[in-house]
Amino acid sequence: MSENFTRRAVLKNLAGIVGGILAMPAARTCKAGVQNVLASSSAPAGYDPFQHKWLMALDVDRCIGCGLCVEACREENDVPEGHWRTWIERYVIKKPEAGSGKTRGETIVDSPDGGQKGFPESLVPREQILKSFFVPKLCNLCEHSPCTQVCPVGATFDAPDGAVLVDKNYCIGCGFCIQACPYGCRFLNPITHTADKCTLCYHRITRGLKPACVEICPSQARIFGDLKHPVADDPLQRFIANKVEELKPSLGTGPRVAYAGLDEEVR
Amino acid sequence: MSRLLKMPPQIVRLVLLTIGIVCVYFTARFFLTPPSFGLHGHYRFDALRQIASREPYWAGKAACVECHAGHAEKLAKGEHKTLSCETCHGPGRAHVENPAEKLPKLNMSLCLRCHEASPSRPQWLHQINVHNHYTGNVCTECHVPHQPNEVP
Repeated sequence: MSENFTRRAVLKNLAGIVGGILAMPAARTCKAGVQNVLASSSAPAGYDPFQHKWLMALDVDRCIGCGLCVEACREENDVPEGHWRTWIERYVIKKPEAGSGKTRGETIVDSPDGGQKGFPESLVPREQILKSFFVPKLCNLCEHSPCTQVCPVGATFDAPDGAVLVDKNYCIGCGFCIQACPYGCRFLNPITHTADKCTLCYHRITRGLKPACVEICPSQARIFGDLKHPVADDPLQRFIANKVEELKPSLGTGPRVAYAGLDEEVR
Repeated sequence: MSRLLKMPPQIVRLVLLTIGIVCVYFTARFFLTPPSFGLHGHYRFDALRQIASREPYWAGKAACVECHAGHAEKLAKGEHKTLSCETCHGPGRAHVENPAEKLPKLNMSLCLRCHEASPSRPQWLHQINVHNHYTGNVCTECHVPHQPNEVP
């Protein structure tokens, strides 16, 4: 072994190391060049995701089931027909059968075309209805999202501002996340063949606009805001000061979508 | 070194091949992994900018109010104060960019979309049964959409 440590060999190795270090900046420049070709974007400047924490609030008592939000979302985000990023469910709770000794009867849930064109008359006759209401649904923006945990390629992730997003360039369309979502909020986009979901209208909120569904909702059933920057007389702060609930709390997903006025039947 | 060379040549070739494949893998990974991948988690941070680069479709109430402040003031006094302009008037982006581009006229089905009576609708909402409410043609004969609680 000792014959390896000649002056010549040591100098040679040192020259190699120095050469390698000098080559690094050149490689970095080269790398940046390659990546600039692969990806470029025209995003709004001046948006720092670490400075925001978004929260969506839904008031069941305010939803009138017009379906304008579903339509607005489809137009805003080019959601393909037959798929929904947000939708409205109609709950119809029947009166208990006479002599059954129960407080309420069967619950029937429907969502024709996601509620996009409004709701036709329910199949349950009016006199049999104990209670009926609409529940708007969308991605629950989980703090501990099951969908991001199962992604094998790091294509879906929790953004620092609370949005759960899909990187279309990375998504391989395996569909694990679609199965993992306990709220059924994801779908495989038939055009891009990647997982698709509510982005909270990320291109709007980064420009200071409201998400399309919130903008269009006529009854303020949807309230959206930034927990890190409450505005004056913030409707979101007023909303969360009262009792709020979440969907499927037993799963521990920690949704960032708060509901008010949820009936126990809502799943 | 000399001991390695004394190894059977097929083993030496196999070792060199393995080293070669590993080198190719690390070189490819160095060049192809985006710089923002892993910056703030197991994802490409630049994807945020890419997703945000989409152009908005709905203009938003603030854009309408810039020119139509009078209408907005009127609206704020009426029952319809919670509505965005585009809720009824439809997407106004084209009109914002080019005011000569007019928005389509509205019809009665739009009123009914929200105000038709339904047992699922909340009690606070004014609901009508079209068949026994009025037999005329248009809602605006009796109601002012910008101030529904006023008589025209």
